[in-house]
Amino acid sequence: MDAMTAAKAPPAQFSIQARRWARDNLFGGIGNTLLTVVTSLFLAFAFYQILRFVFSSAQWDVIEANRRLLFIGRFPQGEEWRLWPTIFLVSALAGLTWGLWSKVGWLAAVLLALVLVPVFLFFAHGQVGMLTALAIALALMGYAVTQTGLVHERFQGPIRQLIVVGWVMAFPVTIFMLLAFGGVDPSLWGGFYLNILLAVVGIVASFPLGVLLALSRTSSYPAFRLVSTGYIELFRGVPLITILLMAWFVLPDFLPSWSVPVFAPAGLDRMELVYRVMVALTLFSAAYVAEIVRGGLLAVPKGQLEAAQALGLSTVRINALIVLPQALRAVLPALVGQFISLFKDTSLVSIVTLVELLRAGRAIAQGQIQFSGRDPEILLFVALLFWIVAFSMSRLSQRLEHSLGIGER
Amino acid sequence: MTSTAGGRDIIICEGVKKWFGDFQALRGITTTVAEGEVVVVFGPSGSGKSTFIRTLNRLEEHDEGRIVIDGVELNENLRNLEKVRSEVGMVFQQFNLFPHLTVRRNITLALTNVRHLRKAEADALAEQLLNRVGIPEQVDKYPAQLSGGQQQRVAIARALAMQPKIMLFDEPTSALDPEMIKEVLDVMTQLAHEGMTMIVITHEMGFAREVADRFLFFDDGMIVEEGTPEHFFEDPQEERTKLFLSQIL
Repeated sequence: MDAMTAAKAPPAQFSIQARRWARDNLFGGIGNTLLTVVTSLFLAFAFYQILRFVFSSAQWDVIEANRRLLFIGRFPQGEEWRLWPTIFLVSALAGLTWGLWSKVGWLAAVLLALVLVPVFLFFAHGQVGMLTALAIALALMGYAVTQTGLVHERFQGPIRQLIVVGWVMAFPVTIFMLLAFGGVDPSLWGGFYLNILLAVVGIVASFPLGVLLALSRTSSYPAFRLVSTGYIELFRGVPLITILLMAWFVLPDFLPSWSVPVFAPAGLDRMELVYRVMVALTLFSAAYVAEIVRGGLLAVPKGQLEAAQALGLSTVRINALIVLPQALRAVLPALVGQFISLFKDTSLVSIVTLVELLRAGRAIAQGQIQFSGRDPEILLFVALLFWIVAFSMSRLSQRLEHSLGIGER
Repeated sequence: MTSTAGGRDIIICEGVKKWFGDFQALRGITTTVAEGEVVVVFGPSGSGKSTFIRTLNRLEEHDEGRIVIDGVELNENLRNLEKVRSEVGMVFQQFNLFPHLTVRRNITLALTNVRHLRKAEADALAEQLLNRVGIPEQVDKYPAQLSGGQQQRVAIARALAMQPKIMLFDEPTSALDPEMIKEVLDVMTQLAHEGMTMIVITHEMGFAREVADRFLFFDDGMIVEEGTPEHFFEDPQEERTKLFLSQIL
């Protein structure tokens, strides 16, 4: 706030204000001054060490040489064409979405550069480089088309609907591309692509399940309440790792062995580990989503329900049109927090032998003799990838909160 | 009780009783309301007047007695309930507008989802109703952007959209700043003059005296006294009525 008002003032005033701010906040008294100096020295030292590592002592060739393993794990050579349509679709949709729903501020622009520059640097040669450039170009085009006012106001509604449909279609398209025409064995899906896939499945599936659980836990039917409370308490009381291990060892004993030939190529007939893990993540996350949503349901004033009832709306419509929209709005920050959590938890599937990003990274340091001891570089890169996605989710949530007017009522 | 409006009985209550746990909120309410009649209900807080009108569209279920609204008895039958609710409009003390929807959508929501009107028809009706309550220019705003008086008028328009035969008002001006009370009462007065059947809980006695055909004085979960406004202002019979009137007038 201070910085903003200062920025609007003329230069002379700015320096005076900056000086006053510094005096008031950083150098007010001996103790305060000492604290400022010590903190600055420590920050400068830490920053210097990090920069020195990143730009001088680190040898990033380990990432360059293993980018394939990190991003797609052991995905078979020659099958990469299955991945690109998804990447193109998501890039274009991301550009369109940002352009239509929000302006990209300087912070977001820096973030975008942080995402795009390293990504491009790692793919900047050969066919992969060209395809990556195409994906980036699609994102920028999408952004430009919707942001610069090229779209007539009349078409904004339909374009919004198209974008929503696009996002809904993205997941089936992804799965179809992975499985159709021969398909790739799900046990070979891996790398960061697998983390994102698991997170998306987990989010998309656990959200409706969680909402249903929350509704039934607040329902007036005791049977619904009992079942949903039991479910929630059960899944919240067990560590995720335990659930994942059970999905690995125990779940197969409970599953019927369908021998439907249609499912065979997808590995669905024997319920491949990846699918079991998807189920485990979904069931686990749904319990948390349910409790978050329940909090929102309880926050909706009783008068809202009564007004809707008095209008003659049915229970289903009251929930869908009046109660849930308000409840979800109220808990959006917590909900996104849970989804970010779920996304990061996808790294735990390495426990059950799936080669997701973190495990791929560990495998490099342990298995490739020429890169032994390069754990810092690898872990830093892994952390950066996770951070980029998690931070984007957090920003998107803030934009959403803003456009939904949370806290302005 | 013969009503001054003289229509057929659209609301019939016989021995309506209601408990909240051990507390008996209604101790046997028997009354009828004729079509076109305006009934003002008043009494001390906790006297059951609010519970009473909330039983009329089954926001509270009564435990004993009969309630018949426009020939339909209120009971477990959900089909009856839907029919009654779409014919009985209700206006609340706290407005209870839907904060996440525009004024237009607040009014059209039930039209498109209960009456199954087309969007264009519903929109036209919404604008017409906002005209009627005197705030056509607020159609695209959100409730939080309106003053209390405007919000309550939107709430009235929302209830009227369903073209109800009966309107229930539960202390519609109690949550309003004094300068906004009149604008809401004016709309209600106009409605009464147009022949709407109304049951109004209010302590705005000037308004009540002007529009009411009949007063019901509630105390301790019972109708203690009922009669015309003149009866109450000139010749109240019960001690409790006299005491209460002396406190609010």
